[in-house]
Amino acid sequence: MFALCDCNNFYASAERLFRPELTGKPIVVLSNNDGCVIARSEEAKAFGIKMGDPEFLVRDLIKKYHIHVFSSNYVLYGDMSERVMNQLGRWFPRLDVYSIDEAFGWLGGIRNLESYAPKIRNAVIQNTGIPVSIGVAPTKTLAKLANKLAKKHNGVLVLDTDEKISDAVRDFPVHDLWGVGRQYYKKFEALKIETVAQLREMPEMWFKQNMTIMGQRMYNELWGRPAIPLDEIRETTKGITVSRSFRNYIESPEILAEALALYASRLAEKLRAQKLRCVYLQVFLYTNKNREDHPQHFPSHTHKLLIASNSTTDLVGIAVKVSQKLFRYGIKYRKAGVIATGLIPESELQLNMFSDHDGGKKDTVSAVLDRLNLAYGRGTLRMATEGYEKKWRLKHEYLSKGYTTRWSDIIQVI
Amino acid sequence: MIRAFEKRAEQKISGFQSPAADYLEGRLDIAGRLVVDPHSTFYFQMKGEAMSSVSIHDGDILIIDRSLSPKNGTTVIAFIDGNFSCRIYQVINSIPQLKNDTGTIYQTEMDTLQIWGVVTSVCRNVLPKSLKTGKCRHVCAL
Repeated sequence: MFALCDCNNFYASAERLFRPELTGKPIVVLSNNDGCVIARSEEAKAFGIKMGDPEFLVRDLIKKYHIHVFSSNYVLYGDMSERVMNQLGRWFPRLDVYSIDEAFGWLGGIRNLESYAPKIRNAVIQNTGIPVSIGVAPTKTLAKLANKLAKKHNGVLVLDTDEKISDAVRDFPVHDLWGVGRQYYKKFEALKIETVAQLREMPEMWFKQNMTIMGQRMYNELWGRPAIPLDEIRETTKGITVSRSFRNYIESPEILAEALALYASRLAEKLRAQKLRCVYLQVFLYTNKNREDHPQHFPSHTHKLLIASNSTTDLVGIAVKVSQKLFRYGIKYRKAGVIATGLIPESELQLNMFSDHDGGKKDTVSAVLDRLNLAYGRGTLRMATEGYEKKWRLKHEYLSKGYTTRWSDIIQVI
Repeated sequence: MIRAFEKRAEQKISGFQSPAADYLEGRLDIAGRLVVDPHSTFYFQMKGEAMSSVSIHDGDILIIDRSLSPKNGTTVIAFIDGNFSCRIYQVINSIPQLKNDTGTIYQTEMDTLQIWGVVTSVCRNVLPKSLKTGKCRHVCAL
């Protein structure tokens, strides 16, 4: 049996834990740069705020219903997620963390699931303060479905018999089923398949022919035969990206260089943390495609490194140089990013016959950089190119504090 | 912070391996005695003297474990009238109440007593001001 444990409205719940006065009040959390709604409390959903709504479109609703707005505080969400996952890990022989707020657990060998699952839920809620829902079923697809239904019940739903599964799929809409995207949904729609019960009754051959191997898996999963094992979904990283929108438009090459220097230096840190080097570094710039009155420019260039690298000095140098070539005067840039591809393990370095390699020296510099920044906080030692003022930095006007990660931000009690 | 750099010194031995190497036990670390479970532990700071009669003073760092349920006599963090408040949880004639030097809240006054977590211990810097400088300025201080 598998369990899917999912935090309810995770970002909103994390904010609310440290602001209990917002219990029962509507909350929305905005994406980076305060652009769109990326999380809503139940109360905010009830006022008709949708996922992905741009902030300016719902501004009136927010005012009218006194909805509390937060910028996304990933420092807080990351820490709360780690707490939840660690608590969950104690209850399952194996746990597969699927995203920041959900995890699949394997329940092999555990009996009395009807009483076990609520215990997990209560422990996580008590120990972390984050509400979770748990769906239990013989396959991951059905566990996911059970979880959605659990949210409407009392937070736990165990589908351990054929009858319970049949009941659960009867009215479950196919578009909410795990693995059904727009493509598949169109196919179902054409055949007037609306519920999972209807879908399940289609012959196996139909799944194979219309949805290839994924379809066959889905068919088996829906009939309670596990076809997607734990861990299997995770893709190996092919590329690592660091990209951000700017607070305001960037129209000068110097400021653009500052931004790219910071992104490249974050990228180098990420590569080193995963013990990888990259052979290709792609730099891209975006304008705001929603502004038809602005000239549009989406340049991108991929630079091939002679020798694979994860050194901050290398990557910052390249990113800045490429950005200056891509930049055009008179264009308002809204977003930029760097992508590292051609990733190879740190230990498998291929040297180049025609170039000097001072990798050892650079690795030492990187190691010192990482160690100082780990001990004294990110950005303590950095490239001067990154600049000081960082006026282009993301907008997060409604950012809450680092309640669990910064001593200066812990809550005062009276 | 110093600890992170210290490790390196141990690793590089140019002469003879220490005869104590096989007997290392790992030095005592206070965190192990203060935090039962880091994943359910939170830190708050006391502001003011509402708990001074039980020796919790302004500026003390409170260690809170959410995994515990309060019993009579437990120091807790509760959310009262829009503020986090440090209180003693008492059960008198089987009615729970939350008490500190500013007054007592009875369960009958609220639907439920909103208890956020249990205070397991209190950390305080006891240095005189003249020594609370330099590397010592962050001892139990924010």
